[in-house]
Amino acid sequence: MSEIGDKTVDAATRTMLEKAAGEGIETVFDRAEKMKPCPIGSEGSCCRNCAMGPCRIPAPKKKPKDPEKAKKRMGLCGATAETIAARNFARMIASGCAAHSDHGRGVAEVFVAAAKGEIPGYSIQDEQKLYQVAMDFGVEIGERDIKDIAIDVGEKALAEFGRQEGELAFIKRAPLKRQEIWRKLNIVPRGIDREVVEIMHRTHMGVDQDYRNLMLQGSRAALADGWGGSMVATELQDILFGTPVPLVSKINLGVLKEEDVNLIVHGHEPLLSEMIAAVSQDPEMIQMAQSVGAKGITVAGMCCTANEILMRHGFPIAGNFLQQELAITTGAVDAMIVDVQCIMENLVNVAKCYHTKLITTSPKAKIDGATHVEFDEHDAINTAKRIVRTAIENFPNRTSKVLIPDERTDIVAGFSHETINYLLGGIFRASYRPLNDNIINGRIRGIGGVVGCNNARTTHDSSHLTVVKELLKNDVIVLTTGCNAMACGKAGLLTPEAASKYCGEGLASVCETVGIPPVLHMGSCVDNSRILMAATAVVKDGGLGDDLSDVPAAGCAPEWMSEKAISIGQYFVASGVFTVFGVTFPIMGSEGMKDLLFNEFEETLGGKWAFEKDPEKMAKLMIEHIDKKRKALGIDKARERVLYDMEMRQKLDAA
Amino acid sequence: MTDKMIKKQSFTGKKVEILGETYEPGMPAEKGQWRKKLRNRKAMLKYLQSGERYWYLDADQWCGSERRKSKA
Ligand code: SF4
Repeated sequence: MSEIGDKTVDAATRTMLEKAAGEGIETVFDRAEKMKPCPIGSEGSCCRNCAMGPCRIPAPKKKPKDPEKAKKRMGLCGATAETIAARNFARMIASGCAAHSDHGRGVAEVFVAAAKGEIPGYSIQDEQKLYQVAMDFGVEIGERDIKDIAIDVGEKALAEFGRQEGELAFIKRAPLKRQEIWRKLNIVPRGIDREVVEIMHRTHMGVDQDYRNLMLQGSRAALADGWGGSMVATELQDILFGTPVPLVSKINLGVLKEEDVNLIVHGHEPLLSEMIAAVSQDPEMIQMAQSVGAKGITVAGMCCTANEILMRHGFPIAGNFLQQELAITTGAVDAMIVDVQCIMENLVNVAKCYHTKLITTSPKAKIDGATHVEFDEHDAINTAKRIVRTAIENFPNRTSKVLIPDERTDIVAGFSHETINYLLGGIFRASYRPLNDNIINGRIRGIGGVVGCNNARTTHDSSHLTVVKELLKNDVIVLTTGCNAMACGKAGLLTPEAASKYCGEGLASVCETVGIPPVLHMGSCVDNSRILMAATAVVKDGGLGDDLSDVPAAGCAPEWMSEKAISIGQYFVASGVFTVFGVTFPIMGSEGMKDLLFNEFEETLGGKWAFEKDPEKMAKLMIEHIDKKRKALGIDKARERVLYDMEMRQKLDAA
Repeated sequence: MTDKMIKKQSFTGKKVEILGETYEPGMPAEKGQWRKKLRNRKAMLKYLQSGERYWYLDADQWCGSERRKSKA
């Protein structure tokens, strides 16, 4: 049995793990100790795509001397280790793309209904963003009524999912050179759903059996996620609920209040959580809460739902992925409301040990044993009221001793790519120029996109924080989303004060001048599309090459676990970004796939993958890549000059 | 608000007086609602062509990396 201290670096999580252990509650941390991952599945060497299998062809412990012998590793049908690993990997991309994109589709459907005035509670909150997206979709603006523009935008967005030919509209947002690369490789997505379906077809038994060809389709589906489904979700959500602007809030389990009715909204889509957040502030609801002995109502988020309501309204975050069971263990959660993605089935078992009502809301995601209150967007406010009332009525049923950890940290969030642009230049000269200039002059060494989940196979939050702190120390500004953003928030990295504490001199001076944190929270996992846009703005502003692959930048998901993360990683790689993943990597059983993903992709796509378990080495790989790009741009010298000390400068001046 | 000036040492070692921080101390209670400054359709569209020129203004009309490149 490992010590609790080995399981997490977060003090609140440690406190709750102790409480859980004392009360006999089993969590994912315990199960991770009891059950080890299958070594064959984790290297991608298991195929169960037909009933002649499953075929398991583990990589030999030692490299065989005879390469012909190595080739003999195959399934019953003859599928090689390469084909099997590529098919499994492509299916992970398909699932990840489907998850993000189905989220986007749901938003688009609500958007159209809201534009038509069919659903009360939803309206256009960001008119300017509507015009922005209208221009992308070629929707006429002129003097037209805003309602008509919104209907056209919503219908065009919805049509992107079922498109059969041509190119997705947002592809045109990418740098011109990037678009040319995609067209040359024939990987521009034709439609979002089509690319997912084609992966499922190609990976069926006996179809595409060339791993390189499979990964081209994997890239096309991944691009349909990043520049398609995810981007549609982000943009339409911004129009409906507002484009994020800077705001302050708090994070960690300490945001729950013993004297309040506590609701946790967990999952990914903001459609219902927006309504719950709004309804919780209704005086009628607050009065009802007081009538059962509570002081008020606290709504806190978990996982990416948390990021959504934080970014737009400043609602506090209770925690990231691995804290979901522990939130219930506080004994203070009166209702946990879940929608889709990253929701552990064991929540239902933990909830049974306390008074917590676990409420599922999506017809796509029910849990046996949970209470189901179906979210009807046509009656969203009443659905939200019903849920908040259920939580209030449950408040007097608290049974166990309540223990809420003390930890709650201040955070500054809300950095959409539009807001970064504004902060760098103001309303009349909004620009990425100051960022580019500071990269060119070397005060900022480069850009790191650090994102992704938690994974119970590695110490909670530890790799996230090590990677980010290493980057900051080396003057790399960090853009973050998802559970990484939450780990950074809990550790105090999302405040402007973090600049002087954690950053190299150059990055600290830039952050202090602008008044921004060195780690910019850009949102939920679909909001990785905002990182693509910020990086594109850097390219287009000039001076740092003409493609995303030229920019001194790198991506990382230190504690990834979901199939969505693989899709995100692949769309970053296919967009030209060097991307490092930690913990485990599901193609390590295939030499051919390793060579393709870790080397060949750099030649064709401009970006490539790397796998590294040690977080310090992950950061080192990113920094080495950033330096390689600086050298290629001829700006490595600029950085050296910045590092001259005062004495050297005085000597130079005197010369 | 009057501008705050601070004394710093320049790279050459000379003492210079420069503009200090322009933001107020402490945590803001309100969101930084900068988008509300764009009050009407005309201002919003104009901002798209200036602030968001990377996508909404022809690259030939400003000095970005894609100026004069043939359209993709
Ligand atoms: S498709 Fe081939 S490798 Fe896969 S289970 Fe069937 S026989 Fe085995």
